[in-house]
Amino acid sequence: MSKLCTLWQREIAAYFLSPIAYLVMVSFLVLNGVGFWMLVMAFDGRTNDVSVMQIFFGSFFYWIGMLMAVPVITMRLFAEEKRLGTIETLMTAPVSDVVVVWSKFLGAATFFALLWLPTLSYSWLLNQFAAAPTPIDWGPVVMAYIGTMLVGFFYVSLGLMASSLTQNQIIAAIIGFVLIAIMFFLGFMINIGPAWLQSFFGYIGSIDHVRDFSRGQLDLRRVILYISATVFVLFCTQKIVESRKWR
Amino acid sequence: MIAVENLTKRYAGVTAVDNLSFTVKRGEIVGFLGPNGAGKSTTMRILSAFMPATSGKATVAGYDVFTQSEEVRRRIGYMPENNPLYLEMRVSEYLNYRAALKGVSSSKRKTRTDEVLERCGLKDVSRRIVGQLSKGYRQRVGLADSLVHDPDLLILDEPTIGLDPNQIRQVRQLIKDLGKRHTILLSTHILPEVEMTCSRVMIINKGKVVASDTPENLTKLIEGGGTVRAEIRGDRAVIERELGALPGVKNVVIEAGNDGFVCATVYAPPRNDVRVHIYEKAAANKWTLRELSRVRQTLEDVFVSITRVEAPPSKQEEEK
Ligand SMILES: Nc1ncnc2c1ncn2[C@@H]1O[C@H](COP(=O)(O)OP(=O)(O)OP(=O)(O)O)[C@@H](O)[C@H]1O
Ligand SMILES: [Mg+2]
Repeated sequence: MSKLCTLWQREIAAYFLSPIAYLVMVSFLVLNGVGFWMLVMAFDGRTNDVSVMQIFFGSFFYWIGMLMAVPVITMRLFAEEKRLGTIETLMTAPVSDVVVVWSKFLGAATFFALLWLPTLSYSWLLNQFAAAPTPIDWGPVVMAYIGTMLVGFFYVSLGLMASSLTQNQIIAAIIGFVLIAIMFFLGFMINIGPAWLQSFFGYIGSIDHVRDFSRGQLDLRRVILYISATVFVLFCTQKIVESRKWR
Repeated sequence: MIAVENLTKRYAGVTAVDNLSFTVKRGEIVGFLGPNGAGKSTTMRILSAFMPATSGKATVAGYDVFTQSEEVRRRIGYMPENNPLYLEMRVSEYLNYRAALKGVSSSKRKTRTDEVLERCGLKDVSRRIVGQLSKGYRQRVGLADSLVHDPDLLILDEPTIGLDPNQIRQVRQLIKDLGKRHTILLSTHILPEVEMTCSRVMIINKGKVVASDTPENLTKLIEGGGTVRAEIRGDRAVIERELGALPGVKNVVIEAGNDGFVCATVYAPPRNDVRVHIYEKAAANKWTLRELSRVRQTLEDVFVSITRVEAPPSKQEEEK
């Protein structure tokens, strides 16, 4: 447990010691900021029963941010260690592979969560500068964040798995992006193919999930789906990391 | 400390380690030699539990490297080939992190890192970023990392590669000092280093042990009055012919000096002292004999003669 903590700290420190992290943070902030600003402009002076925050979660800019940021966050996790050879010093320390995989996941997930921190101010900003301040319904906002984290952490696990497959960070980012994009686009395929396939796509595609979360619906089945999918992908990652032993 | 039995490691298509067996006793400093691709790094990776062997058994301090790998890893300080480090961290930060990872309790961590910083001569650079250090200092950081949890066994894969002669000397001295308290298995291509630091040399070739003894015994192995050097004044062709005709002589190589003397290197099989014959020949022919000495074989000669598949040195010289 203390080793998990040690490794987790080192992962987070590694982010803040690399310029890529700052680049991701700034880009993410700009992207979401522009998206938010455009939404505010679009709703200016009009009344609408859908709050701006609900539109924000699930908007184009929201998804672009998710889809681009996660692979860039996760690409270095294993690929860099392999390229540098530090995988050897890491794996010959008395720690198990499970701990290494989970610490890397937790490190990246923490960084992902930190990316969203500035957006917490949006709801507050809205209220401050709105012409007619209305009390914010916090329920859906909190749900939206929980949903974003669930989906985001699942994507992080996919990115981590991609990183464990190669020693080239660019390749890791591309594989990660493709895996994540597949998960995202499945949500659009609910009109294709036989009925069982449609419902399957609808069940696992991310796009509807975030929309529903942001409406304040916390479907327990979906929470469990995301948690178990994340754990499953991390398990696969562990097997890939162990595969050096039988290759 | 280390017991290896019939260890075999196959990569796709390549047998890197072939039925290797050896033991290393507690307190030994063993130099692990072999030509490029002999399987040294592979063996070390298996011993440090980075990857398992295809077949065979290896134990460190009585623990199996595959089934009890965490116990093994706790007791080993391993410095991989090319000394990989996290370049963006500071030296003390890195060592502190590694100490924590290797299970040094938080109360002891400070004293342990200070101790290895001191030992490896890193005190002055402890606040520097690893990536900005010179190669020699990085090498020391790697060494410090392998020591930080005070392991019983050190496995060092080419710890002095790429260092300048001064630093090689310092690292060599450090290794010698470490040998007083730790068992060490180190691989290197710098043979004088092995002669100076190691209590035993193990030479492997194509994944098999081909020699294992003290450096002195190994040099004796191919010595025994073998090659002799003589400086003689006289006619070059005659000298070459006459010396070549001596009993037991395999080959004679003559180099003309610029003062009328020629330098003859006479190759003869071990345990056949041709010096007496050369002297008698010189006396009979009234040659002036200025020098007559045995060529002391170095570990390098041993290494070359037992790991090379081609002919011994004499034949090679002949072709020239
Ligand atoms: N990951 C790998 N995949 C396939 N073959 C490998 C791998 N690593 C090493 N080999 C092969 O195994 C053999 C032994 O390699 P190893 O690195 O153990 O040699 P070495 O004795 O350390 O050589 P050097 O002195 O050059 O460091 C070589 O033929 C090498 O090509
Ligand atoms: Mg090697």
